[in-house]
Amino acid sequence: MNIPQPVVAVLSRLPEAPPTLALVTALNLVRRRLWPEEDFAWLTGRRVRMAISDLACGVTFSFDGQHFVLASQPADVVFSASLADYWIIARRQEDPDTLFFQRRLTISGDTELGLQLKNLMDATDFEPLLAFLPDPLRSRLAI
Amino acid sequence: MPRKPQLICPAGSLPALKAAVDRGADAVYVGFKNATNARNFAGLNFTDQQLTDGIAYAHRHGREVLIAINTYAQAGRVAEWRQSVDRAAEIGADAVILADFGLLDYAFHTHPSLRRHLSVQGSATNFAAINMAHECFGVSRAVLPRVLTLPQVEYVIKNTPVEIEVFGFGSLCVMAEGRCILSSYATGQSPNTHGVCSPAGSVRWETDGAQMKTRLNDILIDQFEDGEPAGYPTLCKGRFAVEGDTYYALEEPTSLNTLSILPELLKIGVAAIKVEGRQRSPAYTAEVTGTLRAALDAAGDAHYSVKPAWQDALTKVSEGHQQTLGAYSRPWR
Repeated sequence: MNIPQPVVAVLSRLPEAPPTLALVTALNLVRRRLWPEEDFAWLTGRRVRMAISDLACGVTFSFDGQHFVLASQPADVVFSASLADYWIIARRQEDPDTLFFQRRLTISGDTELGLQLKNLMDATDFEPLLAFLPDPLRSRLAI
Repeated sequence: MPRKPQLICPAGSLPALKAAVDRGADAVYVGFKNATNARNFAGLNFTDQQLTDGIAYAHRHGREVLIAINTYAQAGRVAEWRQSVDRAAEIGADAVILADFGLLDYAFHTHPSLRRHLSVQGSATNFAAINMAHECFGVSRAVLPRVLTLPQVEYVIKNTPVEIEVFGFGSLCVMAEGRCILSSYATGQSPNTHGVCSPAGSVRWETDGAQMKTRLNDILIDQFEDGEPAGYPTLCKGRFAVEGDTYYALEEPTSLNTLSILPELLKIGVAAIKVEGRQRSPAYTAEVTGTLRAALDAAGDAHYSVKPAWQDALTKVSEGHQQTLGAYSRPWR
């Protein structure tokens, strides 16, 4: 999936706060349902950036002990991949190690923090979320 | 016709366990969230609740769950390893995979009805060692280190009552399993003592334009140019300057792939074929399990041949530039 250059040019100039706010709001909504046993102590006060390499932008967030919150750069750990590859990982169509071997996913900064986050995502059962979606959408997203 | 080997697949999380069961694993092997297993990675492995759910899921589908407690109990901390064996018994595991003889002895006497497998980390490469583990600790299966040729594996099988499990797919290492302390030169930790070759806390990837550098405890161990495939950040797979030449002095990142010799593995009577990769994601487990299930089901057929689709699926998820039969094929011997 190639994103047209003019679109990249526009997107890379937009502020990152709105999409990040959407992300942390969503995370706060689903947190207890998806991760009932997780206290996120390892993420508290740490900053994670997910850079979207083909859009030259990204989101940076943190956890304040109670909620996911917007954060500013520099982050403690930075993931970088194309938007399409993030989508592939999220759908569990490819495993992140495969994309790492192929140099499509990079992790810089605190590797342990990054690994903890990657493994949390791997261990997450998304069924409780899908249960809220209407049937056609659920079967499209089922992983 | 020989009995079809069991397919043993890795899971570092509950979704991976379910994927393995769904795609046809006969057994799934897992670990606790501590240093008692050889994949002690941040955020990986199972809480007691997840394991209880996973075992229930596997049993409901008629499959088994094996718990790897395959590092070596550390001085002064033996209780952690023993408690892990106790937890495995309580939680209803079908077997424990152990390497430490002290722990095997404890499991044998404390939980005699809990099946004991000798881990690859136990480093038993000959039938005398395996038979001793059988006689002393009632070991019913041994996982062979990846250093034997096919005829050697067959020779072991012919001389032991213990079931033999071999690796069928996954990343290879220098295969000094159970004896490797290489990473401790850089980090002070090793797989057998801390359950991890390269602790994530010691790993740094630095990107500089299209180039990526891998550092282990600040020591530069590899450098990848644009488009060059990357490998795991272990010392054994690093590139080193040796007498003016910089190359993979110990080993190049490589994956084992036994699709082409599955009929031979069946013929010599291996009891189980294992897939490496508890550190990988559910997508990997699903892909590899489904592929090996199809191949194993076909391997007893006289007209067996490796389907390109199987090869492609495994190539995609492989570490390194190449796949190999490893030690199984040593035509020059």
